Amino acid sequence: MATLARVMIGLAAAVVLRAADGRALLEQRCAGCHNATARKSGLDVTSRAALLRGGDRGPAIDAANPRASLLYKAITHGAKPHMPLGLPKLSVDEIAAVEAWIAGPVDAVPALAVSVSKHWAFAAPVRPKLPEVSDAEWRRNPVDAFVMAQLNAKGLTPLARANPRTLLRRVYLDLTGVPPTPAELQAFLADPSPAAYERTVDRLLASTRYGERWGRHWMDIWRYSDWYGWRAGKDVRNSARHLWRWRDWIVESLNHDKGYDRMVMEMLAGDELAPDDPDTVRATGYLARSFSKYDRHGWMQDAVDHTAMAFLGVTLKCARCHDHKYDPFTQKEYFQFRAFFEPYQVRTDRVPGETDIDKNGVSRVYDAEPQAQTFLLVRGDVQSPDKEHPLEAAVPRWFGAALPPVAPVSLPLAAYYPDHRGFVHRDLVKRGREAVEQAEKSLAEARTKLAAEPGRKNEDAVTAAEKGLAAARAELPALEARIEADKARHLEPPAPGADELSEKARRMEREAGILRADENLFRANLELAEALATREAGKPFDEKKVGAAQKRVDAARTALTREAEGYTPVGKVYGTLSSGRRLALARWITGARNPLAARVAVNHIWLRHFGRALVPTVFDFGMNGRPASHPELLDWLATELMSSGWSMKHIHRLLVTSRSYQSASSTGVEGHPNASVDPENIHLWRMNARRMEAEAVRDSVLEVAGELDPAMGGEEIDAGKAAESRRRSIYLQHTPDVPVPFLKAFDGANPAECYERTESVVPHQALAMANSPASRTMAARLASRLQEPDSGAFIDAAFEAVLGRPATQEETEAGRRFLHAQAELHAAKPEAGLRARENFVHVLFNHNDFVTIR
Amino acid sequence: MQNLFPRRARREFLADMGMGFTGLALGCLLNGEGIARAATTGWRPPDGQPHFRPRAKRVIWLFMIGGASQMETFDPKPALNRYAGKSIGETPYSGTLTNPLVKRNLREVIEGLHKVHPKIFPMQVGFSKRGQSGLDVSDWFPHVGGCADDLAVVRSLWTTDNNHGAQMQFHTGRHVLEGQFPTIGSWIHYGLGSLNDNLPQFVVLGDPIDTCCGGLGAHGASYLGPEHAGVQLQADPANPLTFGKPGEGIGREQQEREFALLGEFNRMAAAAYPDDPAMRARIKSYELAFRMQTSVPDAMRFDEESEEVRRLYGLDQEVTQPFGRLCLAARRMAEQGVRFVQVFHGQNGGAGKWDAHSKLKKGHTELCAQVDKPVSGLLKDLKQRGMLDDTIVAWVTEFGRTPGAQGSDGRDHHPYGFTVWLAGGGIKGGTVHGATDELGFHAVENRHYVTDIHATILHQLGLDPRRLEVPGRKRLDIDFGEPIRAIIA
Repeated sequence: MATLARVMIGLAAAVVLRAADGRALLEQRCAGCHNATARKSGLDVTSRAALLRGGDRGPAIDAANPRASLLYKAITHGAKPHMPLGLPKLSVDEIAAVEAWIAGPVDAVPALAVSVSKHWAFAAPVRPKLPEVSDAEWRRNPVDAFVMAQLNAKGLTPLARANPRTLLRRVYLDLTGVPPTPAELQAFLADPSPAAYERTVDRLLASTRYGERWGRHWMDIWRYSDWYGWRAGKDVRNSARHLWRWRDWIVESLNHDKGYDRMVMEMLAGDELAPDDPDTVRATGYLARSFSKYDRHGWMQDAVDHTAMAFLGVTLKCARCHDHKYDPFTQKEYFQFRAFFEPYQVRTDRVPGETDIDKNGVSRVYDAEPQAQTFLLVRGDVQSPDKEHPLEAAVPRWFGAALPPVAPVSLPLAAYYPDHRGFVHRDLVKRGREAVEQAEKSLAEARTKLAAEPGRKNEDAVTAAEKGLAAARAELPALEARIEADKARHLEPPAPGADELSEKARRMEREAGILRADENLFRANLELAEALATREAGKPFDEKKVGAAQKRVDAARTALTREAEGYTPVGKVYGTLSSGRRLALARWITGARNPLAARVAVNHIWLRHFGRALVPTVFDFGMNGRPASHPELLDWLATELMSSGWSMKHIHRLLVTSRSYQSASSTGVEGHPNASVDPENIHLWRMNARRMEAEAVRDSVLEVAGELDPAMGGEEIDAGKAAESRRRSIYLQHTPDVPVPFLKAFDGANPAECYERTESVVPHQALAMANSPASRTMAARLASRLQEPDSGAFIDAAFEAVLGRPATQEETEAGRRFLHAQAELHAAKPEAGLRARENFVHVLFNHNDFVTIR
Repeated sequence: MQNLFPRRARREFLADMGMGFTGLALGCLLNGEGIARAATTGWRPPDGQPHFRPRAKRVIWLFMIGGASQMETFDPKPALNRYAGKSIGETPYSGTLTNPLVKRNLREVIEGLHKVHPKIFPMQVGFSKRGQSGLDVSDWFPHVGGCADDLAVVRSLWTTDNNHGAQMQFHTGRHVLEGQFPTIGSWIHYGLGSLNDNLPQFVVLGDPIDTCCGGLGAHGASYLGPEHAGVQLQADPANPLTFGKPGEGIGREQQEREFALLGEFNRMAAAAYPDDPAMRARIKSYELAFRMQTSVPDAMRFDEESEEVRRLYGLDQEVTQPFGRLCLAARRMAEQGVRFVQVFHGQNGGAGKWDAHSKLKKGHTELCAQVDKPVSGLLKDLKQRGMLDDTIVAWVTEFGRTPGAQGSDGRDHHPYGFTVWLAGGGIKGGTVHGATDELGFHAVENRHYVTDIHATILHQLGLDPRRLEVPGRKRLDIDFGEPIRAIIA
């Protein structure tokens, strides 16, 4: 029977499932109930041995006679119970696969084992020798040597260098996300030499706009999302509040050319690497982003799946429910990888100047449970953890490189007790003083009101305010006493007199508490009386209001009588140890022997300069991924990245100063000879024309109009205010629930997962650009800035500003006709000529070549 | 990409570019020729043709947000009246609570948040046998009852979650916590070519579900790409399309001239880039966009409808007018070739108006009254135009409600058994399929997960969802579902 199945594979591989799939099917469809732990009817289908042993009804399979097996009868509905119970029957093909599997031991698939050891991506890159290239222009930059060698081999001749205008616009948009100004363009046209070009590249890489442009790219890959959930209720259900601090860290790190390895380490383990440095710790926003309030498993899943895809370029995610189908990752290895993340949780630490962490703070991760255990979820089912076998953190064995030792990290006081930092004390005391001032003010107001309008109600208000002031006045010294007690306690060894200070703090806190409770009780009683009064007045009785007031009365009474044990520390004290698991993982990923980290990184950079990645499956370098178009170039770049101290700016410079990058993108003809050899331009005989990403479109409209706000960083701008904002798009709220319509139309990043942007061309984009108020407003701004009196000169200036080139004769003529006709149309309006010019600029914003990088 | 734009003579290419923006009929533009460039090459998107002979061409999908009660709509349970006020344990059906189905498919995000409500709450409305088929229809649906012989009522739906993330789930097959997946409308948009080049093929009417429960994801396209997502239109002739109008003070003529100059400029530039397919796609996308500005508002012009038709949808009554407008707009869209119209009812800035935790009788009386006339109007209008034969109308909701009382007068969320119906498009009318138990608690006969509804609709449209699968996006069996053959005529 097994032989038959194999023959069938040969005949119709596309439709017939293999016997090996039979086992996978059992795993997928039956093991939810029939596994080693659940054992419905005593049956476990997860191994051949268990099936032979069988369940309550006896052996489930009979290899000699598969069709007589109980299992076969159940899934073919030949006997009751019909399996899978309550779910659709297996298809004919699926049943055939199970039958084939029952017939013979074909679990081991030798073909896989053989090819894994040879799969290039699992061996560390070795720096290849540069190919010999004769053409001087293609010999200066190592990138070109590899490209040219391949072009030669294919008999392809590269296109000429792009014209200086196209080239300058290309490199500006690539490195900064906005086009050059006409003045910058003119300066380059005056000296378009390679040396001048390289100086330009250096200048652009030094510009802070570089960090904003590339920050957005890496935010795609690292899944940046501002927090979401219920924004009006400040209920964070996904990601973390103030995550913009991580975004700012990305932008700053890129601008400082922080090493890629260091960035990865800080994102995965900044809290273990530099526990008392909030600037570093904010990098762990990368992990805080996966937070999910109601779904810890989903949260862990995101952390595992995307860390593997983003930094290692492997789809470890496929091994969550079963061993990976293509790559040599076992399900156990999946959960061992999860163990790196198991201890961590998210918290928000205070920042100077704000005591309310809803308003400001740093969201970061910390190991809440350094000893947290990870269990394999049988069949990926969160209800079936294999609790008998806790898993240690480990990396998949096929990567070769060994995991550095996992060493627990001892945290400093500022890290495990963040509210013990001096600024927090100062801010809290300041808030306490303000509370006293506020209470004094309230009392004064209440007294004034009473003087003007004597009566019971206003008298009560004065009494309440007096009580409030008394409470505030007691709370301030109580706070100070608590701080002193905290300080004494957390000295190493604790200061003499710490106990006395604690007792003093307890007493003062209690006194203040009684005063506050007294105020609360008084106010709650007033509210209750008021609510009850409505009934007496014969008005509709507000049951809710009475209930709430009564609750407050009760709470205040309880507070009055409850004796306190010890004082309340100023803030939460966390654990003093971090597991060190994530730091070990980060060191392993960025270690010199890791085969994938550098390759994956340079591949992403390459994609965003050339429009096509060297390895097209950017998140899958595994055996189901596609091979590299230039394998040696990829490895050379990977080793170059590492040996440059992981300098990304070094790689950018190498790429954009290469001759390959500077090639023209258009042949100017249809049916160029190269196109028949390499229609998809895999070998880079020309540059790829690309459409700007959503953010570049919006930013460029603002920039060209001279309206782009250069302010950097800070809190995200609410999506509802995006249309009016002049800030760069990277600073707009970015969440899955409320997309910014303009960015959405241009294929803005999906915050849940975006390893590569889509480049669609759809009518929604036309409508967004043609009809959004912003593009028209910006057109008007630019039109009024272009002062050229002559319409021909104006047309040229507008073309230069928007498209980076002068108008052709033909275009100028069409433009003049338009300006003339449009001015007539607007004749009744003031400044009809200017209105016509605004319309003209608006047309250019909609021009295909405005959103195209050629 | 190469395949979409076969090499052709330069002259022909430029001639094709030579189209203006106004008054021109154009060939098929949408699905087939929109360009999507992503990492995967060598694989091609669907060609827009059905996989087998379709029975229906288009779908109108009416989603009741919040969870409509099965036992007060289309699944009468006399036992509830018989044992009203008793605990389930005191009835002959005490086994209901120990039935393995209680735990089998349930996923509790917050453990114990939703408890079983044991005290039986009687039906809040009577039922009548309607039509020749004698279909049981609640007396809150007098008008829909008049169309009983067109409905195939499925009383045995189940879902996995006891919270309103199930709203997204009803559209994608996956609960909101599992993330965004393509919705039923986006699969259809992705799989089938256009019926009208002047209109988007997947339209969303009414206020979509709240962000709590999936938000725009319930008509999104996820990894299929934004071009396959639903386009939100307002059934409001004043503003039916995002960025759909040129803005304050921009006259039609002004814009027309701008588009004309733009076309001229783009065609001039295109001559310099004959090897750039995106250029041509963009020119065409502007032409469609320009037409959408008029075609979409045109489709919303209710004043073209006769007084009789307007009354049929209840446009003359305050209670029925809002949903009546959506249903009428849906018919007009369908008539003009929109493939999938997704209509929402009951958005309230939260879980939805049908979420009858308390005052069920009052709430459902009002809500049924809001939709009854418009839905029956839609069915009758489609029928009188001969469109019901190839238009599927689906009346659906995310889950049902508990047989037991919540508080004194409500019913809680209930994923174990609930009811939806389909009509038209080759669906067998006057049919009841599947059953819940005596109390309306568990779906016990012909159980169907929500994706079986998707599968049934796709089947009627001639699509095999397995052939639409995108490389690298593994779908599970449960995502595909199985067509409910018993309700197919």
